[in-house]
Amino acid sequence: MTASTRVAVIGGGSWGTTVAGLIAANGHEVRLWMRDPGQAAQLNASRQNARYLPGVTLPPNIEATASLEDAAYGCQTLFLMVPSHSLRAIAGELGDYLDGSRILIHGIKGIEPASFKRMSQLLREETCCRQIGVMSGPNLAKEVAAGHPSATVIASRFQEVIDAGIELLKSKTFRVYGNDDVVGTELGGSLKNVLAIASGLAHGLGFGDNTMALLLTRGLTEMTRLGTSLGAHPQTFSGLSGIGDLMATCFSPLSRNYQVGFRLAKGEALEAITADLRQVAEGVRTTQTVAEYARAHGVYMPITEGVYRVLFEGFTPKEALAALLEAGRGSSEVDAPAREISIL
Amino acid sequence: MIEWGPMTAPIHPPLSGRIFSFNAEREAIVADVVERELARKGHAEQALELAINEAALHEIARLEGGPGSDRWREIYRTLGKKALSDKEALFRSLVAEAARDIVGNFDPKVYRFATSVVPYLLSFIMKPQGPAQLPAQRLSERIQAQGETEAVRALAQKGTVILVPTHSSNLDSIVIGYALYQLGLPPFTYGAGKNLFSNFLLTYFMNNLGAYKVDRRLGYALYKDVLKAYSTVILERGYHSLFFPGGGRCRSNAIESRLKLGLVGTGLAAYINNLRANKPQPDLFVVPATLNYHLVLEAETLIDDQLQRVGRSRYIIEDDESTQAGRIWSFANQMLRLDTSMVIRFGTPLDCFGNPVGADGVSRDRRGRPVDRRTYVLRDGEPRHQPQRDAEYTRELGQVIAESYRTNTVVLVTHLVAFALYQLFQQSHPGMDVFRLLRLPEDPVFNVRTVLETIDRLRERLQRMAEHGVLVLGREVQTATSATLLDMALPIFSLYHTRPLAVREGDDVVLTDRKLLLYYHNRLTGYGLEEVVAPERVLA
Repeated sequence: MTASTRVAVIGGGSWGTTVAGLIAANGHEVRLWMRDPGQAAQLNASRQNARYLPGVTLPPNIEATASLEDAAYGCQTLFLMVPSHSLRAIAGELGDYLDGSRILIHGIKGIEPASFKRMSQLLREETCCRQIGVMSGPNLAKEVAAGHPSATVIASRFQEVIDAGIELLKSKTFRVYGNDDVVGTELGGSLKNVLAIASGLAHGLGFGDNTMALLLTRGLTEMTRLGTSLGAHPQTFSGLSGIGDLMATCFSPLSRNYQVGFRLAKGEALEAITADLRQVAEGVRTTQTVAEYARAHGVYMPITEGVYRVLFEGFTPKEALAALLEAGRGSSEVDAPAREISIL
Repeated sequence: MIEWGPMTAPIHPPLSGRIFSFNAEREAIVADVVERELARKGHAEQALELAINEAALHEIARLEGGPGSDRWREIYRTLGKKALSDKEALFRSLVAEAARDIVGNFDPKVYRFATSVVPYLLSFIMKPQGPAQLPAQRLSERIQAQGETEAVRALAQKGTVILVPTHSSNLDSIVIGYALYQLGLPPFTYGAGKNLFSNFLLTYFMNNLGAYKVDRRLGYALYKDVLKAYSTVILERGYHSLFFPGGGRCRSNAIESRLKLGLVGTGLAAYINNLRANKPQPDLFVVPATLNYHLVLEAETLIDDQLQRVGRSRYIIEDDESTQAGRIWSFANQMLRLDTSMVIRFGTPLDCFGNPVGADGVSRDRRGRPVDRRTYVLRDGEPRHQPQRDAEYTRELGQVIAESYRTNTVVLVTHLVAFALYQLFQQSHPGMDVFRLLRLPEDPVFNVRTVLETIDRLRERLQRMAEHGVLVLGREVQTATSATLLDMALPIFSLYHTRPLAVREGDDVVLTDRKLLLYYHNRLTGYGLEEVVAPERVLA
């Protein structure tokens, strides 16, 4: 890769803007696509994304645009950072401007409802591109933007995608790892959002570290169980995009999904919380998608089921927790990866 | 859908093909393979030595002191002392030797003879041998070609076609050859297992009709590399080729999903080389096809082999005679027992990256937008090989081929009835594994009403699936009543095999050969049809 390349980042939310900043800091020319032309103009004028990443001054080599054609023009690599529910439509339109030489890396943590397709599958369906990867890890946008030491994973079946991602993103404070388990990396990033809601609920109810440790470890087992049933490598869930992301999200009040759980436990209504957040809490949709899939396919996911009941079936957090602690009690079921008697 | 008349001439005007001038290029092809392999080793001493040593050790172990082993021992013993130029000369001679062993031959006279005789021969051997349970049919009705036949013809004139069919029987290449001839396509070259060259009649035709030899015993890297290089070279030179990506004949009769993509991958290598050489017609088109037989000649041997592989020690063949009989069946004998029709269905042609290609030669994405396929291999504006990337492209192509096999599977009456009967049997013994099911002492019996209800339910589901493009229904399965379907299937089940698969006794259907029912039933596994079968679960 040459010293300076033109790179597109599609999606000007907090994480998209942060990724644009990381790439621009490495001297590359970045086109940042934002849906709203007014916001794009505002960013170009003020060098700030006042709505999603206030207080962070962006480098001059980021140019915001509301045109996908402009954004894609001349870019070998494109990062897609839009909400999961928008990806299919945006990728479909973006596909008009792509050819087989382009590299697509998405940083979206969600699963398409009904089809249960991962984001890389949507990109494969909506564009002609083959060289597709996912970027995932414990990456709270505000911390990365502030230069806190962090790391991420680029997963792709194509080594060229991993190399491109590393080259464009790495910095003294941001380390980039590669792996070839796209399924595990995508699912880890998506499923941890459900557990983040669960941990917010637990904290909101006033529970302490024991409960958090319980949620995290059994949550990891749950993620791994579903992931391996869908073809993921179990070890992926022990890495940055699995347990790493899970820890960051479940312990951080900065996480939108955590906030959803925390505020629900404090008695607020879901509609009010999501309206107030201004950004999408992917975990809400993911909970519904995953719980319905698990029910239909007989995958044992009691924590996801509990969160689903709170979000969509009118259970109070305490009722869901009680049901959760009852789940599997008395059974001799042994959970193979951890060799523990399953109570969650 | 094309249905051919009773003809010996192609239905379409024959297209010319490079194959007719193959013999003039043979030595040039061998020389090309040698130079490429040498260049691939970079003329490096260590790489040459490694390749020769590995070949020698493999052959010494394989030959176990038999004929030819002394030569390899000598090579192994003296290699280290040779000068680089001698090592290079030895490498050249070994590559040339392997290439000459592989390389095919094409005699237009034999082709003309074969195309005038084979249809009569096939007509003859496809006549009913026993009581004429089926009305005598014309050959053209017995072998039907469906699907994207026009696109295949069009693309054969725009580039090189790689046909990748499913593989059920040693008859496949003959039947495909006949189908290609009827479509007016020139013969395709294909790799045939060297074991097939033991039959003198078959050897004569294969030796003269463009088949090249693949010796599966030679597992060393040098031989495999030469085989791939040979395939790449002939594809680059525009010879339409046929690969069976399922590997050998499918043992279970399930639709092949685990594909071996080594030779398929040579299509992409040839495409990149063509682009680099600025050839006027650089394109290669991959055409999946399904071969759907009512009955498969080697079914008994294949399912035995499948059960041995799966069950290992749990499955012991009780009837050794039948296995021996399977071995000694001559190819001719097997053919004479054939008495049924089959369907070849050509799927949507693909480029080397899995995009569908229309008859216009244009690749399209799933939204129907044209795709410039060159861009997949361009780096800094130039077409480049990138082994890891290219292997991944081929892996994805393999997934599309496997999906094409599923959606282009044609459900024939024997598949449907075998699925219904075996599932009724299996579901009447919940929790019992296949090996125990096959060993149960009594022949299972089902009331005919239960069987007909099951066929009705299955067909209703299959029709919905066919409407959604999940698979394709054969003509009879689309139109006949369940009673007619059963009446058609049972006589076919009695035609070839050592024992009938199932027979009607009054109001009952008796399952007389569960192993073969399992084999034919397997064709429809993987579609989620099991749940449709039998809520009754009651033995009649």
